[in-house]
Parts: sequence; C-alpha cells; structure tokens
Amino acid sequence: MNNKLQTKDLISVGIFTAIYFVIFFACGMLGYIPILFILLPAYMPMITGIPFMLFLTKVKKFGMVSIMAILLGIIMFATGHTWVPIATALIFGLLADLVFKTGKYQSFKHSVLGYGIFSMWSMGAMLPLWIMRDSYLQYISNSMGDEYTNAVISITPDWAAVAIFFTAFASGIAGAFLGKAVLKKHFQRAGIA
Amino acid sequence: MQTELLQSTGASHKHLRLDPRTKLFIALITNTAAFSGNVWYLMVALAAIPLSLLFASNKIKSGVYCTLAYIIAVLLNELVMPATHGIPNLFIAMVATTLYRMMPGLIMGYYLVTTTTVSEFVASMERMHLSQKIIIPMSVMFRFFPTIGEEARAIGDAMRMRGIGLGSGRLFKKPMAMLEYRMVPLLMSTVKIGDELSAASLTRGLGGPVKRTNVCEIGFGVQDIAILIIGILIFIAFTIN
Repeated sequence: MNNKLQTKDLISVGIFTAIYFVIFFACGMLGYIPILFILLPAYMPMITGIPFMLFLTKVKKFGMVSIMAILLGIIMFATGHTWVPIATALIFGLLADLVFKTGKYQSFKHSVLGYGIFSMWSMGAMLPLWIMRDSYLQYISNSMGDEYTNAVISITPDWAAVAIFFTAFASGIAGAFLGKAVLKKHFQRAGIA
Repeated sequence: MQTELLQSTGASHKHLRLDPRTKLFIALITNTAAFSGNVWYLMVALAAIPLSLLFASNKIKSGVYCTLAYIIAVLLNELVMPATHGIPNLFIAMVATTLYRMMPGLIMGYYLVTTTTVSEFVASMERMHLSQKIIIPMSVMFRFFPTIGEEARAIGDAMRMRGIGLGSGRLFKKPMAMLEYRMVPLLMSTVKIGDELSAASLTRGLGGPVKRTNVCEIGFGVQDIAILIIGILIFIAFTIN
C-alpha cells in the first residue's frame, strides 16, 4: 500500500475540514448565549464528534489529521483569533494523529482516545482569556484597589484553564462514542462509512 | 446573493487592491498587538487600519457598523468600566475587554475573507512556497463552504415543511433528535458532493505532477508598502509601550 498522501486524500481533508468547521462554528455561535459560553468546552467536542468519526473512516494515512488541525488553526486565525489556536491545533493534531497511527487507523479504542486529544485544540481559542489576564488585573488593581482584584482572581482561578482542557477531553471521548453510534445507525447502512 | 467566505469572483479594479500577503501580515500584526497593549489611542490606531481598509474597498455599510461597534467598545472600556463597581462592573468588563481586544482582529479577518478571491489566495500561498499538502485541502475547503451552506438551507426548508423546524420548540424537548435530523442528512449529501468534486477536480488535473499556472496577478504595489509601513509603525509603538 502506498503510504504517501494522494491528491484524493488531500481533497477529503479539505471537505471534512469544511464540514467540521461549519458545525464547530454553529456550536460557537450558540456560545453567545451567556450561560452556554461556559458550557462550550463541554458540548462542542461532543457534537463535532459526528463529522470527525465519519472523517476517520476515510483516514488511512499519517498526516491527514495533522493537516486538518493546521487548517483549522489557520482559519481560526484568519477569522480574528490570536495565534494561540494555531499552536494548540498543531500540538494536539499531531498527538492525535500519532495515537490514530498506533491503532493503524482501525482500532476503535485508539479513535476514541485520539479524538479526545484532538478536541483539546479548540480550547486554544479560550486560552487568551488567561493569557491577557495580567494586563487586565493590573488595570483593575490600579482603579479598584487590591481587595477587589483578589476577588476577581478567586472567581477566575488558573486551574480553570486546565479544567477546560480536561472538560474538552472528556467531551471528546463522549463525542467519539456518539459519532460511532450515529455512524452505525445511519452511515454504514447507507454504505458511506 | 450567496454568502461566501472567500469570494470566487474578483472585486472590481476601481477599489484599493492589496496583495493577500499584505493582508495576512496586517492580520498577524493586529492579532498579536491587540493582546499586548493597553493604551487606548494605540488600540484605536490599530483598529483604524482594518476599518479604513473596509471603507477603501467600498464596504461602506459594514465599515460603518464596525466603526460604531468599536467606538462603543472603547467608550465602555474607558468610561463605563471605571465608573461601575461590583458585579455589574465584572460583567461590563468581560464584554468590553473582549470586544475591545478582539474586534480589530475580527474586522481584519472579515476584510481578509471578503476581499480576497480563492484563486488570489491560492496564488499567494504558492508564492509563499507553502506545500501542496496545505494548498490543495485549503482551496477545497474554501470552495466547499458555500456548498455546505446551500445544503443546510435546503435541509432546513425540508424540515420546516414537515414541522420539525428550529422554531417549533422541539429543540429544547429533544435536542439530540434535532441534532440527528439536521446533521445526518447534511453529512450524507455533503460527503456525496465531496466525492463528485474530488472526481471532477482530479479529471481537471489537480494534483498533477506539473506546476499549475494561475491567472491571478498578485504582487506588491505602492499601496501595499504604505499599509505595511503604517502597520509596522503601530506595532513598534505597541512594543515600546
């Protein structure tokens, strides 16, 4: 079997990245409803699990998942996010690709674990909230005093940044199972997956 | 008129045309600088670049909306935030800082995707010597966004006809079923269209061993250099602060 990426593979990467991003974007729009914004890491990877698991049925070679991650990072950047999503997408995309590779792109266990890891890339979009915190904290301590600043620090602790990554991972695991179930119910019967 | 993320037809030659690489570079500057500085006049100067670019490429309506939104964000940040206390302050601060820092980048992103055509984008990526492994999926992706939107609208119409519309209240009663009704047909049809697209573009020689030619003329002009100098100056001002 030829292990180099063919043009056909690259085209499928493009198609599924587009589908993934549209669904991802629709989920992100729901995040403008205030309470849902906090829940974003919990439901987003779950829903995008369906297109991703379908994508995995087409993936047979190393590099396809990494390219998808890079594209997602670039498009996040082009639509006005920072460079942080590109970095997280690169890291988690490559890691996920390695996990899929060890399962030879067949094993369901590896797919579940790999998608869990892959899901964490999107949290790069939320990380600036913590990265830009220093300047914000400095600003409010100048105008409101230290007591108030401490209150803000206690509301948004550093561990929350770690927590969103874990939430995304757990939700990704759930999404992989959901995706698999949908695949079984609809796509295998139709002969697409 | 269909909405496209990157247009397939070019803008007319009357308006200001920038090289896509200039746009990408300015986007990089705005995104990085917006998260590092905190001086309001510099932030305004930074936001002024994409805003003036919007006006220069005849996107008056969106330019006016964006300008108004940014003025509100700056006012919230500079006047309302110091004047409030307690929980309202926390809430206003969250909204205002996000808008204040994200908007220059968002406007630049909007300008980038609405004024660049897919072919121009591909041509500039080839000039930057990016790998075909990135260029091919990316051009397919941009080609595919409008298709997905079209399919989604058609499915939405069909669902409404059967009374399973988003407004029927079932979204909250059976969210999983609603998700299934929407997503499964969408995936089915887009995957099929994707296969056809793949066959069609292979037939037309995508991925052939020969270097492909491109009809788009891209290159740096006086306007590119001017914009780049302004961008770099503002970026330096940010780093000095």
